[in-house]
Amino acid sequence: MDFTFSPEHIALRRMIREFAETEIAPIAAELDREHRVPFEVLRKLGEIGLLGVCFPQEYGGMGAGEMGYCILMEELGRVCTSTGTNVGAHIGIGAMAIHLDGTPEQKEKYLTPLARGEKIAAFGLTESGAGSDAASVRTRAVREGDSWILDGSKVFITNGGYADIVTVMAVTDPTLGARGGITAFIVETDWEGFSVAREEDKMGIRGTSTAELVFEELRVPHENVLGKVGEGFIPFMKSLDMGRLTLGAACVGGAQMALETAVRWAKTRKQFGVELAHKQSVQWKIANMATELEALRSLVYRVAWLVDTGQPFSQLAAMCKLYGSEVASRAIDTALQIHGGLGFSRDFPLERGFRDARIGEIYEGTSEIQRIVIASNIFREHGVRIRP
Amino acid sequence: MQIVVILGRVLDPSGIVVKGKAGRIFVNREEYMLQPADRCALEAALRIKDGTGAGVVALPRSPLPDDDVLRQALATGADRAVYLTGDGFKGADAAVMARVLAATVERLGGTDLVLVGATTMDTGQSQLGSRLAEALGWPQVIGAWQVEAVDGKVRVVRQEGSNYVTAEADLPAVVTMLSGALKPRYPNGVRLINIYKDVGEIAEALERWDVADLVSVDTLKPLLERRGRDFPPERERGVRVNGTLEEMAQAATDALQQRIGG
Repeated sequence: MDFTFSPEHIALRRMIREFAETEIAPIAAELDREHRVPFEVLRKLGEIGLLGVCFPQEYGGMGAGEMGYCILMEELGRVCTSTGTNVGAHIGIGAMAIHLDGTPEQKEKYLTPLARGEKIAAFGLTESGAGSDAASVRTRAVREGDSWILDGSKVFITNGGYADIVTVMAVTDPTLGARGGITAFIVETDWEGFSVAREEDKMGIRGTSTAELVFEELRVPHENVLGKVGEGFIPFMKSLDMGRLTLGAACVGGAQMALETAVRWAKTRKQFGVELAHKQSVQWKIANMATELEALRSLVYRVAWLVDTGQPFSQLAAMCKLYGSEVASRAIDTALQIHGGLGFSRDFPLERGFRDARIGEIYEGTSEIQRIVIASNIFREHGVRIRP
Repeated sequence: MQIVVILGRVLDPSGIVVKGKAGRIFVNREEYMLQPADRCALEAALRIKDGTGAGVVALPRSPLPDDDVLRQALATGADRAVYLTGDGFKGADAAVMARVLAATVERLGGTDLVLVGATTMDTGQSQLGSRLAEALGWPQVIGAWQVEAVDGKVRVVRQEGSNYVTAEADLPAVVTMLSGALKPRYPNGVRLINIYKDVGEIAEALERWDVADLVSVDTLKPLLERRGRDFPPERERGVRVNGTLEEMAQAATDALQQRIGG
């Protein structure tokens, strides 16, 4: 068993860390305050190839594998959860579905500009009546000659307000339900019939766009069906598995930031004549944070290795997401407590980190859904099929 | 046009703690980065390349245990790199390196401009550029903020006292770049992955040369002898002065006069 990062991944992390600290960290507070998407950062990330980090070089990607993608998400999560979320929605779920299930023609046409960062992707699954219960999608697609006509809407779509390409899940046969009745489509947002209805005003990750998308008689050519007609659930679930892993990686970064901030503060802040570092109550908090962080890091990079070596990883990806989001939330909560009143102040980054961390336990499958997935897999191995 | 850039590495300061009292440097993370001034030299070379299509060749500034700095240069846009290795080369100082690099530049042939960092971040060494210019018999301009190559000349903006002056030299020439002169670009992702994985065309761009083929081994003896390491004495505590502006000025003047023995 070899736990060392390869030379290319060490070099990649060095490059990403420098980028994150130079280009993103200085504006992270401003993005949050002004509710602004950092388009200039996304453009620069695209120029140096990072928006295609895990995609093959033949389609404009960098070819750094899932390991490289996890390194990117960890380093972004360490400085700015908003930027991490924008990038994660673009690569990890938006473009990922095309990478996993697209035809060579679809990859050439759509994945290449997405991997180069010339276009931005979003992932259209959630609806007002279908969140955790993804199979209850109502958006309808009806075949008309060589096209499909889409009608319906999607809510809480990250990157929705400005994405160029959205992968959309729609019902093609209402009688068949999730297995056989749902199809995935690649939709260009400048097509007639596509519109953005509203932007969410959110508690955290305020440097992201979370939008409601509306499709009104939106005509999609048949060649834009992703995967097979009726089997749209498959590319979406596969993308979500990847998304869960890399969300765990972003949480490694979030927890790392919390630990670094807490240690820095405990080294300098004096109470009762000594630095907080000498207080056992603080030492125990730091020790717990560091231990949980290392456990999470080991899990995340082990799963990245499973993906890159073509082994099953779905169950462990759910654990990455579940454990990662809870570890990150706990770490930031603890770091904030160590800072006392100053942690509560908007002048310190932990207040933003605290609000940003909360979404980790909700998006891309709530903690409850992850537990259902994990338990279902365990019971299935023992012959019990859990009913939703 | 061909530009040679000379690059070295330095321990990432965020991974070390210097304890003057204990007389030790504690290395928590042994991670290296490009010497910041050398990185500016690389950026200057790449900007000239952007404008003129010049070829850029990267060479090491000292004997290195691995070729990481050269791979970084290739990932960032250098066209070719030569890793220098060989017996008896390990202890090379600036004097030896200047001879070895001069021989390397001559062997490469066709070089118009050599760019190198003015000063190293860790040891404060700033001899290499001048020694190399001397060894090559080329003009040198040291401490550049900006460099451009025009009509067979190199034009450099450098600082003299509180003024900025433009200096020119005929090519071929050696120019040393100041740290912080330019904002260096990031590596290109695809080039980075390929050079570190040793795949694709870029893998051919990294060569290994034996120093013994460039200079005779008896010229490799360093001038510099390292006898030990010392830390500067701890600074004395300052004097706090209180009172009105006049009183504070008087107290500060008195303290200064006392310090210089006036």
